[in-house]
Amino acid sequence: MAATITEDNRRKLGRINKNFFLHIHAGKVHPNSLRPDYTFGLGIILGFLFLIMILTGVILLINYTPSVERAYNSVKDIMFVVPGGRYIRNIHRWAAHGMVLVSFLHLIRVFYTGGYLKGRSQNWIFGVVILFLVMFMNFSGYLLPWDQLAFWAVTIGSNIAASFRELTDILGITQVLDIGGFIRSLLLGDDTVGQAALSRFFMLHVVFLPVTLMVFVGLHFWRIRKDGGISRPQSEGAKVNKLYSWPLVMWAELAILMGTAAVLLAMAFLFDAPLREEANPAFAENPAKSPWYFLGIQELVSYSAFAGGVVIPVLFLVFLISVPYVDREEKYIGIWFSGPQGRRITWQSIAFTGIVTLALVIIIIRYGWLNTWIPGIPRFVVMLVNPATLSALAYVLWSLWVNRQTGSGRMRTMAMFTCTMTAFIIFTVIGIWFRGPNWEFYWSAAQWPVF
Amino acid sequence: MTVTDINESGQTRRDFIKRFSVWAAASAGILASLSLIRQFIPRFSRQQKRFKIGRKNNYPLNSYTYLPERQLFVYRDHEGVRAVSAVCTHLGCIIEKSDEGFQCPCHGSCYNEDGEVVSGAATKDLPWFELNKDVDGQIVVDQGRIAGPGQKLYI
Repeated sequence: MAATITEDNRRKLGRINKNFFLHIHAGKVHPNSLRPDYTFGLGIILGFLFLIMILTGVILLINYTPSVERAYNSVKDIMFVVPGGRYIRNIHRWAAHGMVLVSFLHLIRVFYTGGYLKGRSQNWIFGVVILFLVMFMNFSGYLLPWDQLAFWAVTIGSNIAASFRELTDILGITQVLDIGGFIRSLLLGDDTVGQAALSRFFMLHVVFLPVTLMVFVGLHFWRIRKDGGISRPQSEGAKVNKLYSWPLVMWAELAILMGTAAVLLAMAFLFDAPLREEANPAFAENPAKSPWYFLGIQELVSYSAFAGGVVIPVLFLVFLISVPYVDREEKYIGIWFSGPQGRRITWQSIAFTGIVTLALVIIIIRYGWLNTWIPGIPRFVVMLVNPATLSALAYVLWSLWVNRQTGSGRMRTMAMFTCTMTAFIIFTVIGIWFRGPNWEFYWSAAQWPVF
Repeated sequence: MTVTDINESGQTRRDFIKRFSVWAAASAGILASLSLIRQFIPRFSRQQKRFKIGRKNNYPLNSYTYLPERQLFVYRDHEGVRAVSAVCTHLGCIIEKSDEGFQCPCHGSCYNEDGEVVSGAATKDLPWFELNKDVDGQIVVDQGRIAGPGQKLYI
């Protein structure tokens, strides 16, 4: 049916198409794409957060000096001397944390609504790359203030990369082929964290990663248009009339931008970004904790550096990339959890993960692990058998079982995804609230011993 | 089609030149980036591997002394001096002296007095370094040479 294009409609299309910054939008959108209970606007929030990061980052660059002698003091100047510097730094900090949080929420939203189906697999993979880039952006920005937190987080992080040595040591080829040491020297430019590392991380954080991120964000948006708008619930019955983007979508996006900015400004006003003592290679903080989003991984590496820091995260990444290929059922797009069966599987998976992972964690905290039970046990046994690898194995078995019960690719993928996400949350919560000095278990920080 | 030269496999001259130039450009690019990658690999370390740590009298008897700027524990008894690394072999934090040996604050790896792993996620023992006496009487630590836990500099 050819709806006659009135002068008014032509004007609405023109408002979008004739503006460089707006022509990223389609002229018309499907009404279901705008349902807030479907997308929660998470992607657009991320876009705005990234813009805010760039703006505040440029402002911070004016007064920051990337040298070992000056870095800490220049950040101190930003905090205490530069007018409004503290506020800008706080916004930068909370926007960065927001990006990690919202990236994960966006991942979860897209997964459970089947947003990776029907030719959207390529965009799903771009999304996974963006998630990785956001995490790496945060990690590289972490070193720049050159305080104790920064120094030890990056020391630990670079040594996680170097823990390939645990594998090459077992094979006895570290002398010839030291992959771990090679990756670390690429990251740090030296054996330990120093000026070379600061220069490299500065370059990564300020030039390489933001530009790469912009490219992938561009690709991500481009694919949305190519795939016919964001994935959405199929509408029942007859053809629906699409809505004109102008001014409807503009209002929606403006509201989200205002909301995001309001939350950020309030956070930055109420909570200061931390700045500890200047980096001191002679003494580690006790406990030396990474930012909250890495504490799940820090909990895993406390079992085994290589298994928890390299193998599990790489397997997780491989799983995420494989999602559109493991689940090829082009059904239930836009339906949360694909209906009641998926909802049930999700709850069961959460319960299963809760029981298995918590049981393993309780065992290692209360009774120790193989190396405390059997002194002199070969250390690679602990590397292979620890709460991290055992729970990962349990999730694989669980999703295989779900596959046998339901015979559905969607259900097995959903079981696996739910398990890994739940475990990620469990380990992160333990790392944030239940680990104290010497990485020992405490019910609360009030019980920490005083030195 | 003006090009008529076709070889046995049905390839035109133009096809050949096209394919040849793509491969030439690709291999030139790969070789150039390989040589550029070398810029990312550090050629030297700012860390000193061999250094003096003073005379034995600087170190009290039968106790571990921590050298903050070198990240070393030096132990002296009535026979001589030994030096053990203070860097945790798990993920590189600085270990602390505990009652039974050493303990890492970051992820809780424990070592005994000989630097051997007792518990935790560390997979390697703490390295003990070779010590020598210089002509001026100072002790020289050589972090490039690993000694056993029992090896002392008898002075």
